[in-house]
Amino acid sequence: MFLLREPPANGGFMIAAYTVVAVVLAGYSVMLMVRARKEEKREQ
Amino acid sequence: MTSSDARGAARRALRAGRVLTGLGLLAVAAAYVRAIAFTDIEAVQGPAQKIMYVHVPSAWCAFLAFGLVGICSGLFLWLGDRRLDTFSEASAEVGVVLTGLVLITGPMWGKPIWGTWWQWEPRLTSTLFLFFLFVGYLTLRRTMFDPAERARYSAVVGILGAMLVPFIHLSVYMFRTIHPRPVVLNPEGPTMPGSFVATLLSSLAAFTLLYLGLVTMRYGLGRLRELREARHVPAA
Repeated sequence: MFLLREPPANGGFMIAAYTVVAVVLAGYSVMLMVRARKEEKREQ
Repeated sequence: MTSSDARGAARRALRAGRVLTGLGLLAVAAAYVRAIAFTDIEAVQGPAQKIMYVHVPSAWCAFLAFGLVGICSGLFLWLGDRRLDTFSEASAEVGVVLTGLVLITGPMWGKPIWGTWWQWEPRLTSTLFLFFLFVGYLTLRRTMFDPAERARYSAVVGILGAMLVPFIHLSVYMFRTIHPRPVVLNPEGPTMPGSFVATLLSSLAAFTLLYLGLVTMRYGLGRLRELREARHVPAA
């Protein structure tokens, strides 16, 4: 006989982890783009 | 290669990096949608299991980044090409960001599944050491002003740091540990349902594309800065 049960309700941890990853990756990408733009301006 | 050729190559690297980073961010967004909306919830671990789809790709790209630091550092010591040193610095910086993500998302999975945020077990502890080692590598680079000496010392530290990577991957086989064994790269083949593996592989591809974009952009930035500084150093 199979015992069916609901999966644990821990979606908050998943949302927190995905949010942190998105913020860090997007933030670092933007920071690099800004640094690159500044360096290009210094060059000119 | 003349100085203006080198500057042109650096600017091209920056442009390519921007395009690849943009594509990488879009690919990661698509991987998020697939993982959250189109992949089943695992029955035992619940939604927290989906943290694996960002944790494992971050770890894979971090190890790729540090592996490339080791290879390029070795090649720099052999060939003496400064571009290899600049690439090593770029890859180390991106690797540190990704390792930071590994160290944040791991405990977020550990708390609901293990019941604790952190365990001083071999995989976690050695990953933390790897993070500190490459933070040290980047700090070392900022404290040395002679470019030739900085490149040489950094290359040695980079090679030593990269040697930790295979040890960390194999630590789950070498020691008694509570960390799960690799789910794809293990001798018995994937240990998950096909749809989970497909989501993980698509997420791996997206993160790898983003890594390539970030490292290319950071390399172009590093080269431009180096070439600018070289113009201001008076000839001996």
